[in-house]
Amino acid sequence: MLAWIPRGLAKGRITTRYPRTREAPPDRYHGPVAVLDSTGAGRELESCCPTGAIAVDERGRVSLDRGRCIACGECTRIAPHRFAFTHRYETAARTRQALVVGDVDHDDPGPARRTLAEQARALRRSIHVRHIDTGSDGAEEWEIQALWNPYYDIQRLGFFLTAAPRHADVLLATGVVTAPMRAPLERTWAVMPEPKALIAVGTDACSGGLTADGEATSAGIDAVLPVDVYVPGSPPPPIAILHGLLLAAGLLRDGSDR
Amino acid sequence: MSLAARQSELPDYLPEHLGATREPGPPGEVRLRVSPLGFGRASQMLHRAGARFVTLLIAGAPEPAIVGAFAMRGDLVVLRAPVASGQQPTYTALGPWWAAAQWTEQELADRDGARPVGLVELPGLTRPDADALEQCVMGLDVFSLPFGPVRSGVFEAIQFLLETGGEDVTRVTTRSFFKHRGLEQRVIGMAPGEAVHVAERIAGISSVAYGLAFSQAVERALGVTPPAHAERWRAVHAELERIACHLDVIAKQAETTALAVGHARFAILKEQIMRLRARLTGSRFGRGAVVPGGVREQARVAPDELLAELDAFERDLSRDRRLFLSTASMTDRLIGTGRLPRSLVEEYSAVGPVARGSGLSTDARHERPYGEYRRLGLQIVTHREEDAMSRVMVRFSELTESLRILRQACEHLRRANGELVAPLPAVGSGCAFGWVEAAQGELVIWAELTNGLVSRMRVASPSFRNWALFEHAFPKDVLTDLAFIEHSFGLTAAGADR
Repeated sequence: MLAWIPRGLAKGRITTRYPRTREAPPDRYHGPVAVLDSTGAGRELESCCPTGAIAVDERGRVSLDRGRCIACGECTRIAPHRFAFTHRYETAARTRQALVVGDVDHDDPGPARRTLAEQARALRRSIHVRHIDTGSDGAEEWEIQALWNPYYDIQRLGFFLTAAPRHADVLLATGVVTAPMRAPLERTWAVMPEPKALIAVGTDACSGGLTADGEATSAGIDAVLPVDVYVPGSPPPPIAILHGLLLAAGLLRDGSDR
Repeated sequence: MSLAARQSELPDYLPEHLGATREPGPPGEVRLRVSPLGFGRASQMLHRAGARFVTLLIAGAPEPAIVGAFAMRGDLVVLRAPVASGQQPTYTALGPWWAAAQWTEQELADRDGARPVGLVELPGLTRPDADALEQCVMGLDVFSLPFGPVRSGVFEAIQFLLETGGEDVTRVTTRSFFKHRGLEQRVIGMAPGEAVHVAERIAGISSVAYGLAFSQAVERALGVTPPAHAERWRAVHAELERIACHLDVIAKQAETTALAVGHARFAILKEQIMRLRARLTGSRFGRGAVVPGGVREQARVAPDELLAELDAFERDLSRDRRLFLSTASMTDRLIGTGRLPRSLVEEYSAVGPVARGSGLSTDARHERPYGEYRRLGLQIVTHREEDAMSRVMVRFSELTESLRILRQACEHLRRANGELVAPLPAVGSGCAFGWVEAAQGELVIWAELTNGLVSRMRVASPSFRNWALFEHAFPKDVLTDLAFIEHSFGLTAAGADR
């Protein structure tokens, strides 16, 4: 039993300093897809995307909805001059509209809900997180669990995992919302005390991804409940989920790196 | 390197014995056509002969039929009973005398309307109700305790209904299907290259295995052979995935005993593998690496570099493993917990570490070798203690074995270079099973293609087949053993529910 202690100490410090310093992904990592050239495209470009994330309007302007993107890379292979994977982990945004990139007219999305920090100052350094799976593929759970491993050690930032929704400030919801999980999701959210934040983790949770509006599925968490932060990705890496948690808590400003 | 087609070990008289006609099929599949009335009898004979139940499905090609797949002596015996056009498919249920078929038959009845004669009713299997609190065990102080589908931790949605007097668990009911997303329907009409993205997401933690099983089914249906170089890279991706999945199980066991440093150590090792996979493929889960016909692109880490990383990894792993196995607080919780007698495991046709932890040597890589595993020497690890510790030991030994396979594959990769993908015919048609040994166990996918597009996919996932056994894993265990037993199974609800 005691032998574990030197074993733990011998590793030294491996924890990321994120968000103080940026965490760089490995070369050619499949980060969020960017639109490089958004002009003069034909409508047929839309069909290369299996989740319908790419839209071309009547003037040939291209936009890409990262909330639907599953990072399959089909578009980057068919039109490499237009689409490319960006070299970063962060994908989160506080509005659904902010996930749409390229040449697109954003309607006024209205103000996002207030962050936890704005609602309750005291929550800044002790935020309790709860997770619910509403029909994910299982990978999002791995990436959330990874936040508590020594590489990310999210407790240093004041986030703690709680087993009871009644003790939770933040709900991490993964998955497309299948029919049997709809009621448990609503009930879990209802019993959480105010102030609270809901984070949709993964492309499935943001929009439904490949399984949106199927025979037994909904179209993501916000088809059921209002979402505070969207973290697209299939699955989003731990740093992206951490970024989303910091946005929900009001510890980071969003949009700075888009 | 040329490989002669492996000879079937099945006796020549088998078709006649089963009252069936042999039909041509891809290598490894013994396709037998039986009459609808003879289907039950033929299955029963296979059961008596020691075959392992794999799956039942309704096939659409080449004609509507009830198809049963059974693993026997290194072959996949495929029984096909045609359904008269315009009629509801029907057959004699296997469930009453073969427990392994019960879940599959209920799903087939609910989804495809194929209701067999004598179905063992499992009401609510595919339409779970989280609030239903039935109780079968009556007694003083016995109560029903629903556990899930919202779990107390970051776990997938599944519900266990425990009937307990507070300490002893008298009965467990597994309620799955909270996560059914209809992915088998989703792929209809997709080109194989697009459908593989869906297949990878059936069980996210085993993306490579699901992508590979689907790709192999497509390749076998269309008669395409992937290049040898691609098969080597596929083996590398698949073994890295197995290492990550096994480390996840071991880390969770350490976490459940509150062995904080042990948990941290194994989580570090797992994260190292995830990062290595991100460097290899651009995705932490190896998504997009395997495509029907081969692999997507040249991996981004040279075999030499990969070998050096694996050496450092193995040094760390062997130290942590030694500590884990000498920590009494850890091993005491696992030894004797969740005992699964070999006979039960056989009756439920369980697969993967669950089966190998009870002394069965089932492994798709060995039984019906595919891809690079036809060339690599593979040692099957079994442990006979039948408990949770035994299943963890199987994983520990398989980590070593996976590292050995990876080294072997890297050596081959270093010496050779070649094509990465074989083109698929644009408008090919056909149907076949594809299989791989995922970290959870043998995974079998049935794919039908019509004019180059997927017209049907059915998945026999290891998680689905092993969950049925879960309720028998509490012979004399207490409530707090649930987490240990669940983790020792190492299954994924997404894979089971599809």
